Amino acid sequence: MSDKAADAGRRVVVTGLGAVSGLGLGARAFTAAIRAGRGGIGPVEQFDATGFERSLAGEVRGFHPEMHLRGTDPARWGRSGRFAAAAARMAVLDAGIDQRELSALRTASCFGTTNGESQVVERLTERWVTDGGLAGLDPVLAGQADAGRIAAAVSAELDLSGEALTFGTACAASNYAIGYSFDLIRTGEADAVLCGGADASNRATHAGFHRLGALAADVPRPFDERRDGIVTSEGGAALLLEPLDAALARGARVYAEVLGYGMTCDARHMTNPDAVSIAECIRRAHHNAGVKPGDVDYICAHGTGTRANDATETAAVREVFNDSPPPISSIKSMLGHTMGAAAGFGALACCAALFEGFLPPTATVRQVDSALGPDLDCVPGQARAARPRVAQNHGFAFGGNNAVTMFGGFSR
Amino acid sequence: MRTVDRTPGVATAAPARPVAPVDLVAAGVISAAGVGLDALGDALRAGRAEGGRPDAARDTETYPPVELRAADFAAVDLLGRKGLSRLTRADQLGAAACGLALDSVADPAGTGVVLGTSLGSAGAVARFARDTFVQERPYLVNPSDFPGTLMNSAAGRTAIRHRLTDVNATVSGGPLASLHALRYARQTLLAGHARRILAGGVEELSPQSAWAWHRTGALAPRVALGEGAAVFALESPGERRGAGTPPLARLMVCTTGFADVARGALVVAHRLTACVEGALRRSGLTAQDVAVVAPGAAGRRGWAAVEERALRAALPAAADRHRLPVHAVLGETHGAGAALQVAGVLARWQDPRLDTRHEHAALVTSCGPDGSVGCAVLVRANAPV
Repeated sequence: MSDKAADAGRRVVVTGLGAVSGLGLGARAFTAAIRAGRGGIGPVEQFDATGFERSLAGEVRGFHPEMHLRGTDPARWGRSGRFAAAAARMAVLDAGIDQRELSALRTASCFGTTNGESQVVERLTERWVTDGGLAGLDPVLAGQADAGRIAAAVSAELDLSGEALTFGTACAASNYAIGYSFDLIRTGEADAVLCGGADASNRATHAGFHRLGALAADVPRPFDERRDGIVTSEGGAALLLEPLDAALARGARVYAEVLGYGMTCDARHMTNPDAVSIAECIRRAHHNAGVKPGDVDYICAHGTGTRANDATETAAVREVFNDSPPPISSIKSMLGHTMGAAAGFGALACCAALFEGFLPPTATVRQVDSALGPDLDCVPGQARAARPRVAQNHGFAFGGNNAVTMFGGFSR
Repeated sequence: MRTVDRTPGVATAAPARPVAPVDLVAAGVISAAGVGLDALGDALRAGRAEGGRPDAARDTETYPPVELRAADFAAVDLLGRKGLSRLTRADQLGAAACGLALDSVADPAGTGVVLGTSLGSAGAVARFARDTFVQERPYLVNPSDFPGTLMNSAAGRTAIRHRLTDVNATVSGGPLASLHALRYARQTLLAGHARRILAGGVEELSPQSAWAWHRTGALAPRVALGEGAAVFALESPGERRGAGTPPLARLMVCTTGFADVARGALVVAHRLTACVEGALRRSGLTAQDVAVVAPGAAGRRGWAAVEERALRAALPAAADRHRLPVHAVLGETHGAGAALQVAGVLARWQDPRLDTRHEHAALVTSCGPDGSVGCAVLVRANAPV
C-alpha cells in the first residue's frame, strides 16, 4: 500500500453496522443469513401484485419502526426514511457509542437512494387515479415525498447537527455516500458519519424492471449460466464511520478500515453498463486506497444477475486483475436487489467478512456461466472460511454511475 | 474525540479549519428571466421576469390556481432536435445548463457533474407510476420512460450528451439540494476526484408538483412557482494557473447542517446562524465583509421569519448591504433555488451598469422544512485568496 497520497489525512474506520433487510433485522441477523447462504425472497406484500407476471421480491418482514426509533415519530417519515433511521439507530447501538456524545460532535448523515420515498409517491399517484385528479392530493403525503428526507430522518432520529445529505445516484448511491463520508472524516470536515442507503419495495420500480424483461422467474442467480434477472428488494443499511484515533480512544470494536474509493460515469447509455468505465472506476478506487490488484482478497460484486451486468462486470474485473481476479460473489443472490441500499449492504458484507473471517457466497449459483471466463470463483453455496485483508465493494447504476469502495481489515 | 461548544439545547458545529477556495470559472443559467447571466441581471434590476411557457405537451393535467414562472428557453436551440423528446423537462434544463457552462471551458477533459434536485422529474415519476395503475397490465409501462423517472437522469443524460466520464453525482434535499451539490462538488474537487466539476441545481415545473405545492399550502403568499437550472464550472485555483480570464467568483466555503424542525423553528434558526458564523470564520471574513445577501427561504410560507432571524443574529445591521430577493423575481424554484441565488450574485457582480466594486463578499442561505440549513460564501474573483 505504497502510492497513497502523503496528505491522506485521518484514517477512517467502521465501528457500527445496522441492517433492516429481508435477511433479518440488525447486522447480526443479516451476517448470519449471508454466512449460511439463506435467501430472503418471497411474495410481494408491499403493493398489490395482481396482474404482474413476476411477483417475488426481497421485502423486509416484521419491521415495526416504533420498536427501533427512539428520537423521532415514525409517522413523520416514509418507509425509506424509516429504514434508514432504524438502520442508523442500530449502527449506533452496535458501536456502543453514547448517542449524546455523537450529537455533540460534528456528525453527518449521508444516505443513498434510487427511488426516494417511492411508497409515498405511489400512494399519491393511486389517489390521483382513483379519486379523480390532482386537486385531491393528500397534503400530508405530498409533504413527505422529497427524497432528501431520508438522510433527514436519520439526523432527526439521532439528533445530529451535521449535514444531512441524500444521494440520488440510483443503485450506486450508497457507495457515493460512503465514499463522501470517508472524505468528510479524512479531511476533518466531520467527526463521525452515519452513512449507507435505503429504498422501499414499490410498484413502479417493479413494473419498470418487469417491462425491461429484467426480473428473474424465481430467485436471482448471479454468474449462473441460466441467470435471468434481478428480484426487486428493499431495505436500509447503515455504517458508523469514525476517525481511527477516536475509535481507539474509546476502545471501540473496529470492523474494518475504509481505505478509499473511486467513481466514474459511463456517459454512453442510461441502462447498459460499460466495462471500460467500470474498469477505470476500479483502478481509481485502488489508486485512491493505495492498493494494488494483488492486494485485493475479495470482491463484493454489483452482481445483479442480469445477463448484461454480470458479463460486463466480470469483463471489467478481468481486465483490471490481469485475468486472474480474486473470489467475487454476489450477496444479491440472497438479498435481491435493494436498489439504493445495495452497495450499503455490500459494504456491510465486506466489513463482516473482514472482521469475522469469511467470504460471502453467491448462494443460488448452480452452474457458473462459462462465458464469463475460466476459473471464476464466485463462492457458490455458503460462506467460505478465509482471512481476507482487503475487500472491494461494487456499486453500479442506471445513468452510468459507477462507484467502488475499498475496505481493509484492521487489527490493533 | 473533539467536541464543540454548544448552546444548551442547540447543536452547533463550528469547524475552525481554514478552507481552500475553489473558483467558479463559468456559469450556465436558465430561468424565468431567460438564458444566461445577463438576462438574469436585467430581471433582477427590473424586479420582475416574464417567464416562459410551462411544458404542457406531455400532460393532459392542468395547473392549479397558482402563479407560474416557467423557464424561458427553447430546448431545441440549446440541445438540438436529436433525442430531445426522450428527455424530461428536468433533463433538458440540466443538460442545457451544463452545456452552457461547458461552452466557456477550453478543455472539458476531467470534468464531473453534480446536480441537486428535489426528486428529478416529478412529472415523469408521477406519469410512470400512474401507468402502473391505468394500463391493462401494471407492467405495461413505456420502458423508454423508465430512466427518466430516476433522480440521476439529468446528470446521466448530461454526461452522455457532453461525454463527461468523471464524477457524476445527484443529490437531493428540497431547497437545500443546490447547496448540497455545491458543497459535495467542492469537497470532491479538493479531494482530487475530478479536475473540474459542473455543479448546481435543476428543478422542473409540472402539474403534479404544482398541485403538491398548492395542496400543502407551502408556497408563501404572492410568490410564484418557478423552475430553472443554474450550473457552475468549479476548479481549484491551482488548476487555473496561467489561464487568461479571471473566474466569475470564488466559492470560499459551502456549509450545511441540520436541526430537527420538531424541536422548533427557533432551533433551526440558531443552527443556520451557527452555520453562517462558522462559514465566515472559516473563510477568514467578518460580517462586515458581507456586502450582498441572497436569502432562499422566503418562497416557503413561514420560513422567511426563520431565515431572517438567523441572518439578524449572524450579521449585524449594515446600511449598504444589498439584498437580492431572487425568489421574488424567479419564483420559488426549490431544488434549483440556491444555485439560482448564486447566479443572481454573479449576475449582479458582472453587470457593468452597477458599481459593485466595493462588494467584497456575498452570502447565499437557505433552510428547508425538515430543518436542513446551509450557506455559501462567495468573494469577488479579484479578491486575494
